[in-house]
Amino acid sequence: MKSKGIKTAFTLMLLSSMLIAGCGGNNNAANNTADNTPANTGNNTETNQPADDAMDTSPFTISFFGADASPNWNNMQDDVGKAITEKTGVTLEAEYDVGSGGGDQKIAMMAASGDVPDLIFAKGSLSTLVDAGLIIDMTELIDKYAPNLKKVYGENMNRLKYSLDDQSIYQIPTNMGVGQSSFDATGGFEIQHRVLKELGYPEVKTLADYEKVLKDYVALHPETDGQPTIPLTLNADDWKIMITVTNPAFITTGAPDDGEYYVDPETYEAQLHYKRPVEKEYFRWLNGMYNQGLLDKDTFVQKDDQYKAKVASGRVLGLISQEWEYQDGENALKAAGKDEYTYAHFPVTLSDEYKDHSFMQTGIDGYGLAITTAAKDPVRIIKWLDWMSSDEGQILRTWGIEGKHYTVDADGKRVVPAEIQDRKANDVANFQKETGIGQYLIFGARYGDGVKDPTGNYYTTSFPEEIVAAYSDAEKESLAGYGATTWKDLFPKEDEFPVKETGALYNLPVPTDGQYQVIFKKTQDIIRKRIPEAILSKPGDFDKVYDAFLAELDKAGAQDMEKEFTELVKKRVSLWTGKEF
Amino acid sequence: MIVKALTENGVTANESVTPHPPAKRKRSGFWSSVLQQKYLYLMSLPFVIWVFIFSYVPVWGWLMAFQKYKPAKSFSEQEWVGLANFKELFQDERFYLVLRNTLAMSILGLIVGFVVPILFAVLLNELRGSIFKRTVQTVSYLPHFVSWVVVGGIVYKTLSIDGGIVNDLLIWMNVIDEPIQFMAQGKYFWGVVTAADIWKETGWNAIIYLAAITGIDKELYEAAKVDGAGRIKQMFNITLPGIRSTIMVLLIMNIGHLIGIGFEKQFQLQNNLVTDYSEVLDLYALKYGIQISRFSYGTAISMFTSVVSVILLFTANGVMKKLTKESIM
Repeated sequence: MKSKGIKTAFTLMLLSSMLIAGCGGNNNAANNTADNTPANTGNNTETNQPADDAMDTSPFTISFFGADASPNWNNMQDDVGKAITEKTGVTLEAEYDVGSGGGDQKIAMMAASGDVPDLIFAKGSLSTLVDAGLIIDMTELIDKYAPNLKKVYGENMNRLKYSLDDQSIYQIPTNMGVGQSSFDATGGFEIQHRVLKELGYPEVKTLADYEKVLKDYVALHPETDGQPTIPLTLNADDWKIMITVTNPAFITTGAPDDGEYYVDPETYEAQLHYKRPVEKEYFRWLNGMYNQGLLDKDTFVQKDDQYKAKVASGRVLGLISQEWEYQDGENALKAAGKDEYTYAHFPVTLSDEYKDHSFMQTGIDGYGLAITTAAKDPVRIIKWLDWMSSDEGQILRTWGIEGKHYTVDADGKRVVPAEIQDRKANDVANFQKETGIGQYLIFGARYGDGVKDPTGNYYTTSFPEEIVAAYSDAEKESLAGYGATTWKDLFPKEDEFPVKETGALYNLPVPTDGQYQVIFKKTQDIIRKRIPEAILSKPGDFDKVYDAFLAELDKAGAQDMEKEFTELVKKRVSLWTGKEF
Repeated sequence: MIVKALTENGVTANESVTPHPPAKRKRSGFWSSVLQQKYLYLMSLPFVIWVFIFSYVPVWGWLMAFQKYKPAKSFSEQEWVGLANFKELFQDERFYLVLRNTLAMSILGLIVGFVVPILFAVLLNELRGSIFKRTVQTVSYLPHFVSWVVVGGIVYKTLSIDGGIVNDLLIWMNVIDEPIQFMAQGKYFWGVVTAADIWKETGWNAIIYLAAITGIDKELYEAAKVDGAGRIKQMFNITLPGIRSTIMVLLIMNIGHLIGIGFEKQFQLQNNLVTDYSEVLDLYALKYGIQISRFSYGTAISMFTSVVSVILLFTANGVMKKLTKESIM
């Protein structure tokens, strides 16, 4: 009896200690690898020593978090990923945000716990991590180890600095190309090709034109494939409300994109862009569209996936959006061969006096990669990023592998074979998963469209011939109807505007503590609630609702927030241009 | 319920171990009973440790509510701000709106979420065919395993004005002429959430009551039948009183959770048009706390919910004890 009792007690103790040991297991494993690595390098000193100049290609894992969802990420098991690992030894252990993305929550938790990956694409949440002291300053690293990064950014290095008070380089902007001059327009107002064809390519310049086109067509075809035709639908789910509902208000009224603000180009005074009297007229137009039954009744109720499903069904005649926002839906149409249901782009404005500022250049100013304090070997990471930014790395990222995804002809020109081109355009998801082309764009600095490498080829696959080659027949037909080769031909060009001194202000880091964030959140809540309300109100009530909305913004403290933002803008201008205020 | 079963077993076990409590026991009291039931104590020890680590140690973090917490700084470097976070919380109009929504939805959920599963269990119990009964039971609790993300999608689809089954049905029955935008109007939101909850959880919640009903002595029914009681009478005089203690325990525990109803369903079902009715405390804490890195503010909110929950639990327990002599403590 006694011995049995002892046995039981021991079994219990054993069980509990196993529980505890189970929790501690990870640490052991981590220690083991840490112990092993120096031992290995000890053995291989001869091979590793000279690697300072040459490339160190020993296996190396970089943990990474991306704040944008990346559904086609294939754990580097795609062609380009394998090539990168082979050339550099680096494997990315990547995690991406899910759903509609943004990463705010995930990154806020990282800041609180201090548990960050080595490399992070933090988008708008970078300042949270910087304030938490989790991001390292790359200035010296770039200076010492990254000749290619220096070459690509060139005279823009000033623009990489964080702020006037803290001139460290915390991130290298990689979500945009340097020297970018787009060849194609992917924003504006969209209309299906079948609509344009049937109506004989009518002029689409103002909101009134756009409205008339949708109205005429839906009167002719109230049904599409047996379901009711939807003249216009927008996506108001979470932050996408900005892309399809609120941003077009400044796009159609001749203001550049500064996020939620309008910044006076002379005085740098910032105000929430909704306060511009002309924008009220844009929302009044949307109100009119709703009350005429042209704007989908589900607009403010539907979720992201429902919206995309509608686009994919082909019964939505018009969108007001950016191509990347509705792309999943359009890709489904392409895959089904319904090219006449895809969309054309028009620079629509409130009236003739406004110009679409989509192509106003902001200079280098984007979101990018930051190295965290968790990175054990930042030098290796910066060297890797530098390799990715070299000509070889850039071409691998944008063109793929020579002989497989492109060939070089007798004149030294890179050519994408027809069948690859076809898959790229019509089987986008599978193509990306398999080849990895387009999956690694943010991993390193890069030149934008229109820049040529030393061999005389463009760095990106987006150049006039290639763009035209990727158009479907329906698209080409529509373009011919308007006497244009690309959609951009319809838009006002870069050289019609000065380069923006302030950069793209939606990227401007804002303070993470104090009242700024609280007021911003409150105004966002008000905007996302009241704008739909104004659009859905009866035409007679519109003024009342809109004016009450503006008053509510100020009551929530918008003016203090705008003042703070104005200061930040001025500081940025002094940092970048040396102007004094 | 599992806890309840365990304690019941524990009690019976105690009684069988000590059929005639020895005189010694009175003197050494607690320690002698520990010694006597040492295996029971040893067995529960890992769970006590587990509860301690996961439920009590984190309470230490509440101190954050009295600080202006900044990430990546050590505890001693944090700035203490006293009750400032709570002051701000109680001065925010939005907080009261959110509190109203939380209470409204949880009280609705409590009432309906109690009556429907009990009714369902009692009626299901009256069914004769055992295969049919079991099939119904299994089918009815399956939605419990469907994630709210999916349920959100289903609800949106069902209530849509564009081919949603509810609107189609109402129009077909001539109840309405124009489809109703259920998801676009705040006044419907609480109802939609409650209805979705019923669909999802009724079957699952009924399992507990069905289990309790099985525990009722069959002889009682036979005796009642002999005395000439019909099925309805049996239901009211045997079945319902038989599961009374189960109902009470669950009721008290649910009242304790009134204010902390989570945010999954609201998060999945809300849209910009109904935020004034859909935002609950946890969503508010997420939006105005964690999302904008105001960890201290978020902590203050959750501290408020925890304290209110404990007060509610004890009040409910006390009231029940007085009224019905049933309680969980």
